[in-house]
Amino acid sequence: MSLLKSFNNFPALNTANILLVENEEQFQQSLANALVEAADAIVNVRLAKSLPVPTKNEESRPRIDLVVFIINLTSELSFESTEASLKYLDCGYFLGKVCFMLTNARNASIPPERLDAVRKLASLLHCPLLFAEDQTPDGVTNAAERLLTILKVAAGHVPMTTALYMSILTQCTVLPDIDQPSFD
Amino acid sequence: MATGLNVTGPLISDPSFPSDQSVSSRSINKSLRVAEKERRKLEAEDPFVLALKYFSDVEAGTPVIGNDEFEKNLVQVEKVAYSKGLSPEGISIMLEFSMSLRMGNAPCVRVLKCLIPATVVPQEAVVRAVAWLCVGKIPISAQVLFIKWVLTVFDMIDAKDQLRAIYGFIFNFVTEENLCPFICHLLYLLTRKESVRVFRVRKLLELQSKLGRQPFLLHLLSLYKVFCPELVTLSIQSRMKTGFRNHNAPWKSALIAVQKRSGSQVASSTSLPFMIKEKTTSRKRKHCLEFPTMSGSVNKQAQTEPSVSKRVVPLVQLHSFAQLLKNMHCVELPAQMGSLLGSSLALHYLDCVQDESALLRLNFWLGYALHEEFLFCGDGGSSQNLEEAQQFLNKLLFTQDFLQEGFSSSEAFLYKFLRVWDGSLLRSQVLGLLSNIPVIPSIKIGQFLFEPLMQLFFTSSLFFKCGLIECLNNMLSKWLCWNTVYCLEDNLDISPNKSHTSINMTLTDFKDSLMELVHFVGRLASVGLQLEGYNSLLLSFILDFYETVCDMFVKYELPLVLVPPAGVFYPALFATDPVSVDRLAYIMYRYQVNLTEAKSHRKQPKKACRISHHTLCDFNHYMSVMVNCLWNSKMFEPDMGIQLKEELLLKANIPEYWESFNFIHHPAFLSYAVDFHHKCWPGRQDMNLNSIKYSKPWTWYLEYLYSQGYDGLKQFVLVM
Repeated sequence: MSLLKSFNNFPALNTANILLVENEEQFQQSLANALVEAADAIVNVRLAKSLPVPTKNEESRPRIDLVVFIINLTSELSFESTEASLKYLDCGYFLGKVCFMLTNARNASIPPERLDAVRKLASLLHCPLLFAEDQTPDGVTNAAERLLTILKVAAGHVPMTTALYMSILTQCTVLPDIDQPSFD
Repeated sequence: MATGLNVTGPLISDPSFPSDQSVSSRSINKSLRVAEKERRKLEAEDPFVLALKYFSDVEAGTPVIGNDEFEKNLVQVEKVAYSKGLSPEGISIMLEFSMSLRMGNAPCVRVLKCLIPATVVPQEAVVRAVAWLCVGKIPISAQVLFIKWVLTVFDMIDAKDQLRAIYGFIFNFVTEENLCPFICHLLYLLTRKESVRVFRVRKLLELQSKLGRQPFLLHLLSLYKVFCPELVTLSIQSRMKTGFRNHNAPWKSALIAVQKRSGSQVASSTSLPFMIKEKTTSRKRKHCLEFPTMSGSVNKQAQTEPSVSKRVVPLVQLHSFAQLLKNMHCVELPAQMGSLLGSSLALHYLDCVQDESALLRLNFWLGYALHEEFLFCGDGGSSQNLEEAQQFLNKLLFTQDFLQEGFSSSEAFLYKFLRVWDGSLLRSQVLGLLSNIPVIPSIKIGQFLFEPLMQLFFTSSLFFKCGLIECLNNMLSKWLCWNTVYCLEDNLDISPNKSHTSINMTLTDFKDSLMELVHFVGRLASVGLQLEGYNSLLLSFILDFYETVCDMFVKYELPLVLVPPAGVFYPALFATDPVSVDRLAYIMYRYQVNLTEAKSHRKQPKKACRISHHTLCDFNHYMSVMVNCLWNSKMFEPDMGIQLKEELLLKANIPEYWESFNFIHHPAFLSYAVDFHHKCWPGRQDMNLNSIKYSKPWTWYLEYLYSQGYDGLKQFVLVM
């Protein structure tokens, strides 16, 4: 059992480290490739099925700048696993160094309650919620680019901005039902 | 076989076709007759024809179980139905057989499921089937299936007049609880102004109090309300959740397959008169995505009908604008409202027609198509054909541009779509649709628009940021245009959408919404510039936006002036490219013009405009900063926005720091100053830019800058 800490290591020059956590391990790999391809600085991508991360690699593990939880909305397990993993993150991460990435959000078969639950979780933790089209190459590239935008800020590569500031701008909010907007 | 088909000729003689048609038609008729005879002969031995004969002649009470002949014939019919579709005659016979329950309940459902029309469904058959429905012996599940079938093939029914004549009979089934949703949908398609009666409204309201606010009842009532607002006093929510469900599941795939097949091979055959030309253009798997083609059916009676009031002309038969004008009062809309979007004539009709039901129905159809295909697709969008989706949305955009208004259904769709959008899927189309949405009340605008957009904006690439700012700029100018148009038409009632779903807004509400939008873009722009390192491209899009904002009073007659935030003003003023500074100067000049105009109108009550004190202060402050920076070389004077301690400035070791942002030393213009220096004193070895400051070279220098195309600066200096 080890808590992943945001400040246990020194940052390396021009380097950003990102951890992708996905229970299904479907989207992880292609996203990681896209991330490395699209990056202009050195980006190390680490993959995990769930947290906690094993203790034996603790020494060699670099400072993780951004933790991304990939949730496949078609599977209940994916969400549950994410919820369980969140406990193994140091609270320092929740100051703008965690984000959620959802796949299959436009699928007709997913129960709307699940999306609501994820939204609620993200807004509770003040984290951004990104949606990704993981089925198409363009969608994967775009998802990688968006993660890099957040990663650059989280790793301190953008002057005058901090991860906390960014998270205030992008955090998810829960909405009342917008199915029946009444404009009266 | 051809009886149901030869009725497609244009009702109104088309002036563009010469009348020599009749001469050649006789010989064609003759050869057709010969061909017909031969075909008959061949058909006599066809097992399918025999099977049909069996079903038309079979006696009531014949047992089903163990009846091999029945089984063999039904299999034969099913085979033909699923491969080629049934002829109108076949449909009549099989429908009659099934609904009359001649062989009991068992085959009824099975037969209904294989009723795939090849071309059209004869109206008489449907009317007879409804008559059988009234007998009331059919099990309820079969009744539901039958109505679903009618809804599925509704567009293929060759005429609707007789069905409309039995509107009352159909309406009676509304009380049947299981049938009610489907009956409501059918009624929705059949309803005319004259079918709306007090007793029917009362019945529906009664049902509503019993069943609750069911969407199908609400939709039918809202259509009634469109036709006769005086009869329906019920307040109906402006945007309803969903339209009618599609019930075509049992037939959808078979129907598409049959249409696809006939499309590819029947193009030259004479027995399929309509739906061919359009359908040959591949009807792919995702058939909903394409706009349905207009398959308007013809009223046989209409040709002989003496009374003009009853005469209707399907839109599909009109080929020119002149024809449309002539028949404006009696146009019959196609059941598939989506087909309107594909035809420019139909759009003209939509644009000028007062009948709100057309827009209402179009909105329902569109809301459905968008919802099913983009928001909640069955497979999560993996196999979605992007190209088709793009074409679909492009066509929708074209329609909206043509009508110069957005559809409320596309608006409702966007609000939902933005919440699950990844920011790249169909980006240009989605942003295009977004810029068309009508004015949103200020209390809702944050929730519907700003929150999802803000999350997308800050996490996306520079190009998305630019695209979104451009989209919001378009949105703003459209809102302003609508306001000017509708303000002129009637007092302050700006309802961009003509349909009854529109929101009535007062000018104050409109100004509030507009202010929210401008402030929102101001926030996005300030932080966005900071995040992107004051990128010139982004700055250019932002200045585009403020070029619209600064002219609101003069150009759009809106009594509102809003100045840009400091986060936009200073980056533009200290930009390293001269174009940004020039554009900022132009924007400030326009603000000056607008504010002066607003002040001069203050005495007139009609154009009363109270520019807030705050705005004026901000503007004056910006103006003095700009003048002091660029012109007076008094950069860090005590009352300026930027204040730095004297010692700190001295420490920086910049000689004459107060001059660093005047026209000569400003990073954007420094190269021009050097160039001018070379041109002015070609022989001089040592460069002294300060020599430009003397009054004569200064005037020349300004002239030189203007000659480089910096008109914004010129205008700014003139009003300064």
